[in-house]
Amino acid sequence: MKNSASANIIALSSTALALPGIALADAPPTQSTVSYKLSNYQEDDLPRSELPFGKLERYDIDVQQFQLVAPMGRNMSVHVDANYESLSGASPWFTTLGLDGKPVVNLSGASGISDNRSELSAGTRYYLDNGSFAGNIGYSEENDYRAVYFGLNGERHYNNDLTTLAGGFSYSSDDIFPTDAALFNRVREEDKQSSSVFVSLTQIINQVSSFQTALSFTEQSGFLSDPYKLRDVRPEDKTQIAWSNSYRRFFVAANAAMHVNYRFYHDDFGISSHTGDFSWHQNLGRQFEIVPQLRYYSQSAADFFSNVDNFLNPLSEYQSSDYRLSAFGAVSGGFSLIADMGSWKATLTAERYLANDKYSAYDVSQPSTALVKYNRLSLGVDFSF
Amino acid sequence: MKQLRTALLLLTCSLILISCADVRAWERGYLARDEMTWDPDPLESALNDHIFFSKEASSGGNSAAGGGCGCN
Amino acid sequence: MGSFCEIQLFAQSRIDAKRILSQLTEEVARLEKKYSRFRSDSFLTEINRSAGHRRGIEIDNETQSLLDHAKNCYETSDGLFDVTAAALSQIWDFKNAQIPTQAQIDAAQTTLGFHKISWADSRLRIPPDMQIDFGGIVKEYAADSVARLARNLGVNHGLVNLGGDFSVIGAQPDNRPWSTGIIAPDREQDIMAKIDLSQGGLASSGDYERFFMHEGKRYSHILNPITGWPCAGLRAVSVAANLCTVAGSVATMAMLKDESGAKRWLLDSGLPHVYMDSKETVGGTGVNATH
Repeated sequence: MKNSASANIIALSSTALALPGIALADAPPTQSTVSYKLSNYQEDDLPRSELPFGKLERYDIDVQQFQLVAPMGRNMSVHVDANYESLSGASPWFTTLGLDGKPVVNLSGASGISDNRSELSAGTRYYLDNGSFAGNIGYSEENDYRAVYFGLNGERHYNNDLTTLAGGFSYSSDDIFPTDAALFNRVREEDKQSSSVFVSLTQIINQVSSFQTALSFTEQSGFLSDPYKLRDVRPEDKTQIAWSNSYRRFFVAANAAMHVNYRFYHDDFGISSHTGDFSWHQNLGRQFEIVPQLRYYSQSAADFFSNVDNFLNPLSEYQSSDYRLSAFGAVSGGFSLIADMGSWKATLTAERYLANDKYSAYDVSQPSTALVKYNRLSLGVDFSF
Repeated sequence: MKQLRTALLLLTCSLILISCADVRAWERGYLARDEMTWDPDPLESALNDHIFFSKEASSGGNSAAGGGCGCN
Repeated sequence: MGSFCEIQLFAQSRIDAKRILSQLTEEVARLEKKYSRFRSDSFLTEINRSAGHRRGIEIDNETQSLLDHAKNCYETSDGLFDVTAAALSQIWDFKNAQIPTQAQIDAAQTTLGFHKISWADSRLRIPPDMQIDFGGIVKEYAADSVARLARNLGVNHGLVNLGGDFSVIGAQPDNRPWSTGIIAPDREQDIMAKIDLSQGGLASSGDYERFFMHEGKRYSHILNPITGWPCAGLRAVSVAANLCTVAGSVATMAMLKDESGAKRWLLDSGLPHVYMDSKETVGGTGVNATH
C-alpha cells in the first residue's frame, strides 16, 4: 500500500482502530487448551576422583506437567496447573579434603533419597480494553517441604498498544520439616517467607521486532540454609534483584523467529550472575517447526562459600559448601521439534547441560565439587477444543 | 553493587535508544505469530525455570516468583 | 444484515475450517443482532427508544467506540456524515418516489445533529425523536472484526465479504491478492472495475438499490442531513483502505458530497478508489490499481 493517505484518513483510522473487534488489545483465548508434558532428567554420575566412597549415581527426576487454559465468557480466562515430580538418587552431604589434598564430596542417602513433589495452582485473568489483570494461588507439597503462594499482576497498553507496562506482586510461605531429623540431629521444623515484586516494559519496535525489559526484587526471610547438609549456615535474610531483557525478531524471508534473552542477577549473599540465551524458531512448511537453543550461565560465589567444610568453624558463622553457591559457569544446548496438526500439537525436546568452574566468567578462587551435568528429554502434547 | 549500577545505567540507555516506528494494528501480523510471543510454550519455560532454580543460585525474571520448593 | 455474505478462508483441515467458520458467523450474527435498525430486539432499537430520557441509556465500550468513530466522521465531513440523521429517511418514501413537504423536512431536521448527543459517563443521552443509524460504519466494522477474529484463530489466508464490504484476512495461499469486482449501479452483470486487495478492506456506497428520479434528476437514498434532501452527486463509489471501516467512512462521505467535491475528497484521501459519476463515467485512481 502506498503511504500517501491524508491526515484525514489517519485521523479516521485512529477511531476505527480503537473499535474492540479491530483493536489488537489483549483478548481472552477463544479456545480451551489442555497441555501435558512428560520430562525426565538425569544427572551424570560423579567422577570417582570427587567421590571416594559409595555409589556414584545422583538424581534421576521425572516431571509431569498438566495445564488447562479455558475462556470464561468474553472477558475472562481461567487456568489450572498440576505438576507431579518424582525424584530418586543422592545429593551432596558434606565435603572434605581427599588424600591428594583436593576437595571430595560425600553423598547423603546411602540407600538413596526418594521424594515426590505435587503442586496444584489455579488462576484467572480478566481482560479490559487496554490491558488485563490476573491473580493466582498455588500449593506445593513434598514429604519434607510445603509451600503456599499467591500472586497478583496486571498490565496496561499505551501509545496505540505499542507500549505495555506490567507489574505484579507475589508471596510464598514455606515450611521445612526434614526427614530423619532426630536421627541426624537436623532441624525439626523451620519456615521461610518470600515476597517478590516486578515491573516490566514491552515495546513494539517495528513490524517484525519487539523488546521487553523487566526488573524484579525478591525478599526472603527465615530459614534459608540446607537442612540436609552437615555444615550449612546461611543468613536469615536475602534480597535478590534480577534485570531481564528479551528481544524477538521475525525474519520474513527465512520464515523464522529469533529469541534473545539476557538477565543480570545480584543478591546480598554476594552472588552475581549473567544468563544469556538464544533460540531460533524455524518453520518448516506449515506444520513443523525446529527450535535449536543455546544458553550460557555464570555466577560468582557467595561470600561465605567454602569448597571444603571446616568442622572447626563455629556454627554461629555463615558457611556452606553447596556447589550452587560456588563460582561456576554452565553451558547448555538442545533443540525442540514441534508438529502442529491444527487442534493437536506435539513437542519433543532434548537438552544437555554442563556446569564447570572452567566455564565461569567470574573469578573462581575455590572450585566446587559436584557441579552437575544432566540430560533432559521432554515430550509435550497440546490439544485445543 | 557496582555491577548493579552498571546494569541500571544500561537499562536507561536501552530505553532511550529504542526508536520505534508507528506500527499500526493491521501491520502486526508477524508480531502476532505464535513463535513471536514472549512465552510460546509456558510448560517448557516453567520446567526450565524450575530446573535452573534447583541447580543455580539465580532466580527471577520478567514475572513475580511462584512458590518455593525443597530443591534449593 | 439483509445482504449477501461470504467468507472464504483456508484452514489446515475441513474440520478446522468448519469450527472457525461457525465462530466467525457467530460474530457477524452478534453485531447484526446488536446494531440492526430493523430489529425490534436490537440494542440500537433500545437506544433509539431511549430518545428523550433524561437519564439516557447505559452503553458498553463497543458502542462508545462506534460513537467515537461516528463523531470523527461527523467532524471530518463538516456535519455531512451524521449517524443521528436516521429520522430523515423515515419521511422520504423511495418506493413511491414521494417527496415530503418542506414542513415535514424542517420538522425532521430539528431532531438530528450529532453535536446534541453526549456519552461522557458511559450513559448516552439523545434528544426526543432523534434516531441513530450506524449505516456506513457497522457492517464495515463487522467485516474487519470477523477478519481480525479469523487471524486470531490462526487463519492466514482468506477474505470476508459482507454485502460488498470486504476485509482481507490474508492474501490468497500463493500470496496473490484477492480480486474484487465492483458492480455498476442497476446493472448487476456489469463489472465496472476491479480492485486487487492483499490487505486491508474495500467498501462501496451508491444508489445500487434505492433511488428516484425527480424533475429529470436522479436522487440516491443517501440523505444530506444539512439540506434534508437526497444526495445527487456520484452514483457509486468504492474505496480501498487499511481497514474496511475506514474505507466505508470515506466512501459514505464521498456519496454525501456534490460531484466535484466528492472527486476532490477521494483524490485528497490518497486511497485507491473507483467511482461512477452522474454521466455514468467510471473514474478514480483505483481503476487499474493493485492495493
